[in-house]
Order: sequence, then C-alpha cells, then structure tokens
Amino acid sequence: MSDYVYLLGIVLAPLTGAVLCLTLARNNQLQRYLALIAAAIAWFCSLNVLSEVIRTGAPVIYRLGAWDPPYGIVLVGDSLSALFVLMASTVVLGGILYAVHCKDRCVTYPAFMTLFLCMATGLFGGFLTGDIFTLFVFMELMVISSVILVAISDNRLGLEAALKYLLISSMGTLFLLIGIAAIYATFNTLNMADIARLLSAGERPILSVAAAVMLMCAFLLKSAVFPFHFWQPDFHTTAPTPVHAVLSSVVVKVGVYGLIRMTTLLFTEEAIVIHNILVVLGVIGIFFGSLGALRTYDAKRMLAYSTFGQIGFILVAIGWGTPIALVGAIVYAVNHSFVKSALLMLTGVVSSRTKTKTAALTEIGGVGHQMIGTGLLYFLGGLALAGVPPLNGFISKVTLIQGGISAQSWIVLGLTVGAGLITLMYMMRTWQLIFQRKPDEQTVGLKDYGDSLLAPALLIAICVVLGLYATPLIEFVNGVVTYLGTPQIYISAVLGG
Amino acid sequence: MNEIFAIATGVLFAIGVFLLLRRDLIKVAMGFYVLFTAINLFFLAAGAFNASQPPYVQPIIAESVGQAIPRGQSSDPLVQALILTAIVISFGSYALLLGLINVASRRFRTLNNDEVNQLQA
Repeated sequence: MSDYVYLLGIVLAPLTGAVLCLTLARNNQLQRYLALIAAAIAWFCSLNVLSEVIRTGAPVIYRLGAWDPPYGIVLVGDSLSALFVLMASTVVLGGILYAVHCKDRCVTYPAFMTLFLCMATGLFGGFLTGDIFTLFVFMELMVISSVILVAISDNRLGLEAALKYLLISSMGTLFLLIGIAAIYATFNTLNMADIARLLSAGERPILSVAAAVMLMCAFLLKSAVFPFHFWQPDFHTTAPTPVHAVLSSVVVKVGVYGLIRMTTLLFTEEAIVIHNILVVLGVIGIFFGSLGALRTYDAKRMLAYSTFGQIGFILVAIGWGTPIALVGAIVYAVNHSFVKSALLMLTGVVSSRTKTKTAALTEIGGVGHQMIGTGLLYFLGGLALAGVPPLNGFISKVTLIQGGISAQSWIVLGLTVGAGLITLMYMMRTWQLIFQRKPDEQTVGLKDYGDSLLAPALLIAICVVLGLYATPLIEFVNGVVTYLGTPQIYISAVLGG
Repeated sequence: MNEIFAIATGVLFAIGVFLLLRRDLIKVAMGFYVLFTAINLFFLAAGAFNASQPPYVQPIIAESVGQAIPRGQSSDPLVQALILTAIVISFGSYALLLGLINVASRRFRTLNNDEVNQLQA
C-alpha cells in the first residue's frame, strides 16, 4: 500500500495558503497573489492525481499519519473524485484569479483570501475524503467560511442571507451527524470502503436505512434541491462575485458527488428507491428553477435560480440509474460548473462598471452596449448553458438525452428537453437586456474600468474546447461509470487485499 | 441505560426544535445549540456506553471494528473523540451565529425573526 502524496497537497496547499495569508494581513496585494499561488498548487496536484489515476487505472490513496484503514483516515483519489476535484480546483483558481483584479470592497478585507482558501480546502477535502466523519468536518469548514464571506459582502443584504443559510445548513449538517452516528452504531466503522464492504456483505439493519435517509437529506440540502432550496437564491445572489462563482458552480456539486457515492458505493440495494425520489425532486427542481429564473429581475439572481434548475437535470440523470444516464450526469455536472462560473463572473464584470454595483436588470439594461468582448463571451456562455452546439452544454444535453432513452423514461425525458428551452429563453432575454439595448439616461455615467475579463474568458475557453473536443471527457467518464459499477475496486484499493 | 439516553435525546431534540421555531433570534440560537447537544448525546449512546467498564482492558473493542461482535461491554473512546470534534465545530458555528445575530440586531433594530426581512423586498 503506497501513499500518493499529491493527494495531500490538494488539501494542504489551500490550508497553508490560508494561514500564510493571515500573516500577510497588512499587504493585501501580496495576499491575493499568495492565494493565487496556493490555488495553482492545488490545481497542479489535482491534475497530477487525475493523470496518475488514468495511468494506473486504479484509485490512489493517502493514509493520514500512516494509519492503516479502516482505523485511520484516508484520502481517496479514484477517477470520480479526481475528476470532481480537478473541476473544483479549476473553478476555484478562476475565482481567485477574478478576485485578484476585483474592485469589490470586501476583497480588500484582510480575512477575505483566508476564508476563500478555507472554503476551497473544505471543498477539495469533501471530494477526496474516504471517511464520513471527516466529510462532516470538511463540510462544516466550507459552510462556516462561506457564511462569513457572504456576511461581509458589499451587498448589505448579505448579512440576512448569511444568517438564514447558517441556520438552515446547520440543520443539514445535523442530519449528516445523525446519519454518521447511526452508521457508527450499526457498523462500528466510519471508513466508507469498510461501510460499503459490510453493507454488501448483506448486513442491513433498519438503522442503516435510517442513516441513508439522513445522509440523503444532508446532501440534498447541500445542493439546494427542491424541498430544501429556499436559502439558495438569496444566499448566492448576495455573495461577492468571486465567491458566488464558486458557490453556485462547484459547492453545490458536493451534494451531487455525495449522492453518486451513496447510490453507487454505499447503498446500492436501496438505490432504486433513492433513484425514484431523485427523479421526482429533479423534475420539480428543473421547472421551479427555470421558471424562477425566467421571472426574476436580477441577473445574478437569475443565474442562482438557473443553478437550481440545472442541478435538477443532474439529479434526474442520476435518478434514471442506467450507466449511460450516469455518464450524462457526471458530464453535465462538470460542464455546468465551467459555464455557470464563467457567466457569473461576466455578470460581475458588467455590474462592476455601474455606480451602485447592482445586477438588477432595470439598472444594468444597456450597460453592456459598448462592451463587445464581454457581450460575446456572455453570448457564448448563454448558448453553452442552454445546450446549443458546438459548445459543451450541447454535449452534456446529448449525453443526458441518451441516458433518458436508455432508461426509457419518455415522459420525464420530454419534460427535461422542454425545460431546456426555458434555459435558452432566460439566457437570451438577459443577454439582450444587458448587451443589446441602447443605454438610456439612467445607465450613462459608467466607470471607465471594471473587473478583469481574464478569468471568465479562460473558463469560456474551457467550455468551447470541451465542446469541440468532447471525446476525451466522454471516454474518461465512460471509464468512471464502468469503474463505479464494481464498488469492489474501491473497497479493495482502500482496505487492501 | 439506553432508555435514559433515548428519553434524554428525545426531550433535548424536542426542546431544540421548539426553540428553533421561535421568533426571537436569541432563542433560535439557543435552540441551535440544544439540538447539537441532543446529537452529541445520541452519539455517546451509539458508542456502547457502560460507565463501569474501562475501554481497552478487554481486546474486544479493537477487534470489533469492522466485525459485528456484540458490543456493550465497555465504553468506546472513539465516539468520545468524535463528540469532542463535533462540540468544537458546533461551538464555532454557535459563536458565528451569535455574532451575526449581534450585527443583525443593530442593523435592523430588532431581534424579531419576522422583521429581518429586507430580502423579500
């Protein structure tokens, strides 16, 4: 059993960066570049992990403190978590790159970068950990730092949204904790591979089913799925732009990742029930989110509602349960992260030019008339989100539809495709309002400079590349799904033997 | 012993939920902490608690991890370590929650949950 040290680097780099940023509290500029370096190291490490997983074709693990599992805590980089962590670290790197040139006041606060890196640590750790109690610790780290980041936002309403989110998400972690306690009471272990081994051995007391319900509630709350979604639009809208870009694209994917792990590794026998619930909740989420995005009058809030709808698409694909549908879910999750974070940053770029830094459509209508580059990128992003070829959104929509056909669930498939058109409607409506309308007297007097276009341009470039050269990603995800079909590989890689 | 734990957890959970649904933000914060205490008690009960038996005197606990050996002979120290972590984390969240309530009460000039509603506008 050999330890792969880059796995530790993914978690340790942002954490060390966070501490070092605190020591540089007097030099804000240096702090920002330090955070950028820390995120770049994490990105490099996750790239290394992914290439190692592809090269060896088996999961890599790191035993913390060299304690053997199941007694010790392990970080596990299998192909699923390596893909998700690479996605997350790319978006986090983009978010910090945006924050480096961000004109928001909250970015100049000494703790901003520290909290941002703590959030990234929680995010990466949550994807990588192979121990459910450590998952709880990382999730709380993520929640607490994101709450503070929203509470110090330039938007004065951030405080109220942060207060609400802290209460609601603490209930989520409470459920997670009850689930962990129930699992520990049943199996006397916290290691996910060990739990999976005992569950597949046919031992299935009623308490473990209760634990499955609790864990599912916690994950659904983290990804803001229908009955637990009320905090999401408020909390995401009031967040500072770089934080919003990370929250709305990758932080919600922690729940998606947890659900995929639950249905493929842990509770494979209960998966049918979980799948049915996910399809229903997903369809409700798609329509709730898409229609909410259509009627809202704030560009950032529209994208927050849109995340709610897009998570619905992913859940429906997980719920279909066939391998092809699971490919669709994972590809959709990866593509959506890049598109959504880029669009949010572009909205931030536009609203940073206005006097009040608002994103209300009544205020920023026509603001982008002279910003041709931003308009073009926003147009590309909008098309990618709606799933128009040749962008990456099209690829994810196609794999999703293939999944629906393989599951032969025609009604749900029809509803999903129909709701995809609503996405096109709200994206194009917003694009026209911001970039096509002539500026009136209300919107003249823009600032000469705003936030930098570099980070969103890079992310849109990733979207275009993933749309034009989609084959490597699809093939890789196909391999991931084949691998997820036999949880024995994960179990033997972690436990050995 | 288990009955006492079950009743205590249930009562604490009920009090926590009741307080959490109050209008007063301070009471909400108290409910939040009581709920976490209830969970910690549940965790403690999950760990084969028997106060008269010290851990690690018999090798049974060390072996039983991963195997379904009947437990309940001695207290499990791992659970207590987990509770300690959970207490630290919930305490941090509680402190943050009180800080947010402090700022909110100054900004909104009220502690009534229903009046902290500028987001609806």
